Amino acid sequence: MSCRFTEKISSLIDGELSPVEAREVEGHLLGCAQCAEARADFLSLRSQIISFEATQPGAVENRALAKILSKGERKKAQEKFAFGWRWNLGAGALALASLAIIFLMIALNPSPKEPEQVAVNNVVAPTPSPSPTVEPSKSETPPQQPVAPKRRPAPVREPKPGEQFAVVPETVRPADAQTMTALHFEKAETLLRAFRNVRLDEPGAADEVSYERKRAKQMIYQNMILRREADAAGDVQIASLLESLEPILLDIANLPDQPDDDSVRVIRERVERKNIVALLQVNSTALARALD
Amino acid sequence: MASEDYEFTMLFQDFYPSLCRFLECLLGGRAPLAQDLAQESFLQLHRTAWGTLPPGEARFWLYRVARNMAINEFRKSSTRYRLFDRVVEAMRPVARNPEQEYETRERKELVLEMLQTLPEDQRAALLLREQEQLSYREIGQVLNISESKVKVDIFRARAALRERWSKRVKIAGASVS
Repeated sequence: MSCRFTEKISSLIDGELSPVEAREVEGHLLGCAQCAEARADFLSLRSQIISFEATQPGAVENRALAKILSKGERKKAQEKFAFGWRWNLGAGALALASLAIIFLMIALNPSPKEPEQVAVNNVVAPTPSPSPTVEPSKSETPPQQPVAPKRRPAPVREPKPGEQFAVVPETVRPADAQTMTALHFEKAETLLRAFRNVRLDEPGAADEVSYERKRAKQMIYQNMILRREADAAGDVQIASLLESLEPILLDIANLPDQPDDDSVRVIRERVERKNIVALLQVNSTALARALD
Repeated sequence: MASEDYEFTMLFQDFYPSLCRFLECLLGGRAPLAQDLAQESFLQLHRTAWGTLPPGEARFWLYRVARNMAINEFRKSSTRYRLFDRVVEAMRPVARNPEQEYETRERKELVLEMLQTLPEDQRAALLLREQEQLSYREIGQVLNISESKVKVDIFRARAALRERWSKRVKIAGASVS
């Protein structure tokens, strides 16, 4: 461990280097096998420590503490009850008002039944309509364009010759997609760690944010592609992690040139709440191991 | 008062498991003692500092106090606790899948064993970094040391663990061949 950069590798994986230093160390890593090995070892140690399964804590035995906590629990239950009661009252009033309005409308303006039914049918059908050749339109109204579902199923490609006989389970993802995902997770982890450590009250903070913003912009497209691939391969865990990562990358990419404390804090809190850094770390290591 | 208790309960639910884990690793796997100290730390927080700390500070306060309590435990003669821990371990229910349980326990013991070889300050800094995801600045706040010392401690801890790990692998390789 004689390379002068080895100490910086430790700070790099913690996202504690400035953008300039981080770029310098990342560049050095490309040419120094010793440092690359140190980095891999440090990350492996990290995953060992993160995956430590602590003993499940039992019930609180400290009586004084248990008493305080039970008061808090009672308050929580009361609030829940009060909220439910208020909500029920509100919902009841709303339902009554809606009934009265419907009754009035029917009484004042009776309309033929058929058009209403057509309208209802059109609204209810949420799935994309089948191709127009299947069933010629019987009704006179043109078919309404259905609302596109949020997540479209990935297109199914034609099997290559002989591929249909392969006994490969559908859920297995190609190794290159896994490699790309592992690298993507690693990059995202470094980005989020660095973003978390930016201090807006210090000089040069705006440069750091603009660097992270640029990196986030570069990663969004890749994130979308990998998410779709994971979806198509049925890898729910990876797909959902990529899905959680996407809005965070978007938020960082959309930050203004001089972001205020609040907008940065909101993103940081979201990252913390979702515990996304640890999840990225665990998954990138797991993918890398699977590829070894 | 009631809303303060409610907020306190929320904080407890959020951080009690991770505080137990931190203490368990710090104390070399003594889970019952770790849970006692974690509960005592929360109680101290409620009695002395709750309501006076700035928002977001309670977590750091808890880790600081819990770690100080753990250091006091190191200084005390801990025979009683060791004996108690062994009894608790012996009384644990039998695992559903013994093979899996054995592997998990092996790995857990290995991590604990490696961590125990580190000086306490390096171990605490590394655990706060890796398990609790705190930044160097936040770790400095908890351990009451400068950021640069945090950086050095974490690097030294990693370097030492890496060296021990590779020695272990070499020994294992030699015994196999």
